[in-house]
Amino acid sequence: MLVFENIMLALTAIKSNKMRSFLTMLGIIIGISSVIAITSIGDSAKGVVGKEFESFGMNNMYLYPNWELTQDGVEESDLITPEDIEALKARFPEDILYAVPNVSANSDTKVGRVEGKFSMTGVGADYGKFKKNLSILHGRMINKSDVAGGKDTIVIEKKAAMNLFNKENAVGETISVVINGEMKDLTVVGVYEVPSSLFDSMFMSQSYSAYVPYPILVVGDGSAWAVELYTNEKKDQAALGNEFVKYLSRIKDKAPNFYIFESAESQMTTINKVLGTLSLAIGAIAAISLVVGGIGIMNIMLVSVTERTREIGIRKSLGARTNDILMQFLIESMIISAIGGVIGTTLGVAIAAVGMSFAKIAVVIDPKVIVLAVGFSAIVGMFFGLYPARKAAKLDPIEALRYE
Amino acid sequence: MTHEIIKIEGMTKVYDTGEIQVAALNSIDLTIHKGEFISIMGASGSGKSTLMNILGCLDRPTSGHYYLEGVDVMEKSDNELSAVRNKKIGFVFQSFNLISRTSALKNVELPMIYGKIGAEERKERALELLKNVGLADRSHHMPNELSGGQKQRVAIARALANKPQIILADEPTGNLDSQSSVEIMEIFTQLNRKEGNTVIIVTHERDIAEFTDRIITFKDGNIIRDEYTREVGQC
Ligand SMILES: Nc1ncnc2c1ncn2[C@@H]1O[C@H](COP(=O)(O)OP(=O)(O)O)[C@@H](O)[C@H]1O
Ligand SMILES: [Mg+2]
Repeated sequence: MLVFENIMLALTAIKSNKMRSFLTMLGIIIGISSVIAITSIGDSAKGVVGKEFESFGMNNMYLYPNWELTQDGVEESDLITPEDIEALKARFPEDILYAVPNVSANSDTKVGRVEGKFSMTGVGADYGKFKKNLSILHGRMINKSDVAGGKDTIVIEKKAAMNLFNKENAVGETISVVINGEMKDLTVVGVYEVPSSLFDSMFMSQSYSAYVPYPILVVGDGSAWAVELYTNEKKDQAALGNEFVKYLSRIKDKAPNFYIFESAESQMTTINKVLGTLSLAIGAIAAISLVVGGIGIMNIMLVSVTERTREIGIRKSLGARTNDILMQFLIESMIISAIGGVIGTTLGVAIAAVGMSFAKIAVVIDPKVIVLAVGFSAIVGMFFGLYPARKAAKLDPIEALRYE
Repeated sequence: MTHEIIKIEGMTKVYDTGEIQVAALNSIDLTIHKGEFISIMGASGSGKSTLMNILGCLDRPTSGHYYLEGVDVMEKSDNELSAVRNKKIGFVFQSFNLISRTSALKNVELPMIYGKIGAEERKERALELLKNVGLADRSHHMPNELSGGQKQRVAIARALANKPQIILADEPTGNLDSQSSVEIMEIFTQLNRKEGNTVIIVTHERDIAEFTDRIITFKDGNIIRDEYTREVGQC
């Protein structure tokens, strides 16, 4: 076929009508650039989520009763007792590296005239080892003797130290809080910092984070609604989680699926799924603009065929066959559309890069998406160019020549 | 006896314009031999262009037969007709019909593109054809940068691109001054005398017709006269 000649011809036609060609491409440019931008932003967000989860340990897991199965709220017997935790640890010595009842408390505090609110999480002795993104700036993390003795100690975040004590090193200071209705004076034993994360801005919280030995937060016999675990990270988290809840349900004399688990990994999968669905949905909407762009191309190609009726007649008089004319116009609309696709891709990548740089996130661009975008726009061009091209190809030579 | 390259029998062309039907050709019979140099004359509207378009396979008659080199053209498919237009017939129009914004060279290359001739050979031949019509230095000019006579010479070069035997020219000098007209007619004469092309020219100027060997006169879709102005010589 005369593919090369037709490509040159199409480029000449596009060049000789620059403004019109550009306006025709605009629909495709807008469509493709939004698809590319949205999918890149989605992919970049996924990458960030992955890093985020990795930073606080992919082997983090919680076990708790399945709320849907507890008829009238959590009953006393549903709670996880210290004995249950010991039993779990004994049953899976290799796989459970850390197991502590999941307890927390919120309390207002006042240091001098500065007020603040603490959100305290009860932790065990080795917590600092597992929570990978936590770094101690001053003092130490909650240790074995704090936990064993249920000592009134607290590790606060840097922001709290700065705001309440006007200094970073607040070790040795005292913070008064109310825990389970009881006033307690906690001694600051450490100041920590976690690198700022995507979630900070998502879950903007007014309160300071802090860690305390879990025994000072528990009530009664030490039962809690959930248990926090760190597991053997070399194993498949979902498989481990299933084993744990099966065992826990059995020793608690419950239905096999009464307890459920939520792992960092499964959370990440869920978030990624949501992000994926979201960018797919927005991408689909953006794809509609591609169709609109295609209609624009069809419209202009119809005009172009009419304008060039005489040229078509001349070509036919010189021996062009129906297929030659068809290809000429088809290739022209494909090239217009593909050029639009290339411009749109560049623009989309730029938009994604600018957007991501505001969010301080590295851009992730899937080369597959680019190939797909340019290919798809060429197909759009072909599809919408087919009707005008057929119209041109079917022209009767003598009638086309007579066309004024 | 020379070879009958074109033979027409009982050819009628009726234009149906809705209210009225115009018989542009009225059961025409005509035989043209290979190597003839013919002019077709007649008043405006007498059917000359209609005949030329049918001879050039641009249009189909309403009824009758057209044998080109002994083969009935009516039987041919669209693609076969394209091939005939491409290879066997060179058509020259009154209005030149060059493709605008396309250089003289590219215009001349066109029939060779559709004839699937390689780029290099195509260009070489196009340059030679342009040289033959005296436009070697105008090959990169656009049609709107050429005079009428120059345009028509490009059109002739283009018609000759695939070395067709038959040259059909519908009032090729109709838009030209007398000086250019003579130049164009000299090219046609050369083609006929030197290359042996069968050349058929429509004109309504007597002195243009005088260049040719045979003058066919039309009136109201009929041939009213068919005369040889001089002995059909060599061949
Ligand atoms: N496309 C057409 N539709 C209707 N009538 C036409 C058409 N083309 C030509 N005719 C008519 O056919 C007759 C012959 O036309 P034509 O062959 O162009 O004449 P000539 O070339 O001798 O001037 C004229 O009466 C003209 O009006
Ligand atoms: Mg005419």
